[in-house]
Amino acid sequence: MASGTKSKGASGPRGKGAGAKGKNVRAARSTSAVARKPKPWGTIIATIAVLALAAGVFTYAAVQINEKNKWVVSEDNRDPSDNIPGVQKVEYKGSQHVKAEQRVAYDQSPPFGGPHDGVWADCTGIVYPTAVRNENMVHSLEHGTVWIAYDPGRIQGGALDKLKSKVEGQQYMMLSPYPGLDRPVSLQSWGHQLKVDSADDARIDDFIRSLRGNQYQTPEPGGRCDAADPTVFDVTKPPPFVSEKPGPDAVKMDGTGAITETNEGQMQTSGAPLPTSAPAAPPAATSQPAPSQ
Amino acid sequence: MTSEPTTEPDQDDDETPASRIDRRHAVVLAVAALVVLVVGAAIGMLITLTRTEQTGDPDANSIDVGFAQDMRIHHLQAITMAGIERDRTTDPELHAIAFDIESTQLSQSGEMDGWLTVWGQPELPEIGKPHMAWMGGTGHQHGSTTASPGSGSVMPGMATTEELNRLRTMPAGPESDVYFLQLMLRHHQGALPMAQYAADHASQAYVRDLAGKMVAGQTAEVTLMTQMLTARGAS
Repeated sequence: MASGTKSKGASGPRGKGAGAKGKNVRAARSTSAVARKPKPWGTIIATIAVLALAAGVFTYAAVQINEKNKWVVSEDNRDPSDNIPGVQKVEYKGSQHVKAEQRVAYDQSPPFGGPHDGVWADCTGIVYPTAVRNENMVHSLEHGTVWIAYDPGRIQGGALDKLKSKVEGQQYMMLSPYPGLDRPVSLQSWGHQLKVDSADDARIDDFIRSLRGNQYQTPEPGGRCDAADPTVFDVTKPPPFVSEKPGPDAVKMDGTGAITETNEGQMQTSGAPLPTSAPAAPPAATSQPAPSQ
Repeated sequence: MTSEPTTEPDQDDDETPASRIDRRHAVVLAVAALVVLVVGAAIGMLITLTRTEQTGDPDANSIDVGFAQDMRIHHLQAITMAGIERDRTTDPELHAIAFDIESTQLSQSGEMDGWLTVWGQPELPEIGKPHMAWMGGTGHQHGSTTASPGSGSVMPGMATTEELNRLRTMPAGPESDVYFLQLMLRHHQGALPMAQYAADHASQAYVRDLAGKMVAGQTAEVTLMTQMLTARGAS
């Protein structure tokens, strides 16, 4: 940039002002050249105020956007339940099935993953008045259901109605009493559990919106909730919960004793390899033929 | 700038204060530019806030998302009812229409599910959020965050749990066939205005297209089921 002689008229040889501006600059200079010292406090304060306002807006916007997306399941937010204090997470392998007369030695109570019956419990927003067999309930979790279990001794009346209102008629929701539950309410989704002491706990709704139908946390998202065969799982007369501990012949959590899965959709969760080994021998304890497909 | 200010003799007197003022002026201009930039960015962020972050895709309050979420739920119950009937009926005509409704709506439900995934929206509407707020006239969807679960309205045509259980448990025969037809007819009639609204007003052409096909298909089935009821001495 050339300077010097060219900007003779304007004493500041910085070459930044246009003609009109030059006039203003000169005018301003003639006055302030006399005063000279005074700092432009007004300008400084105004600038700081504007910057502070802008910073406030930035912070507000960032917090709001964050809050808005906090519970929205997305590629970038695969498990919103990470925002909920108290959620227990366990990684389970999906698609390991047992038969109607078999039991699974679950590692959690209520269970929230692991081998399960080939027939799922109806999860089309069913309020089960009685406790239901765990092996069927766990299969529904695999399809993206949230199961609310409650201690019938501690959750009654208004508290029970409150839980019912979250489930009745709502797809991918189930509610059932769970005898011997260590806390008043326990929520399960596949690989996730949250136990709370009150039906009014705000975390219940957060758990539901984070995990119900969450395709990233569910091995078979969108799997159906309708009972596949009413003669095997009758919504109005579901297989009952068994309170006795499973015996030594129960299917283990690692799938030992389970039917090898060959006829269901492929696993979609990462880190859960497809079973590639030869089919395991059918369980010796039963006389049923192995599934032919 | 290579030349020194001192080479200009006529500015010797006021050179020092002038260049200081000039520098100050430059600072003021720079700060002003910065302020304009920051304020502009802040305004941009506020605008982003009022819209959804996604560009182009229907947002959470759009007709498209509301339709896909609600109609998927509506479809899921039709699939349930049709599945019950398909399992139980011995009437080939009933078996055929139940299987048709079940498979068609299952496919459409999966299509809507896929849209929602691509749009980054929940595949199930939040429990307690009022249904059908996306259909014009209501416009109260902004208060959805305060609605408590269970307070959501029930969509038209939906069967209650008692009705579903009655369908499940009543002895299979002509009577249960008629009851299924009545429930499904009402269910279709409830869905039609929703589908029609989306066919007319959704922002995405493929949404309008599928909604339009629902209107056409279900209107034909309404006619068919009405005839089937008449043929069975019911309405």
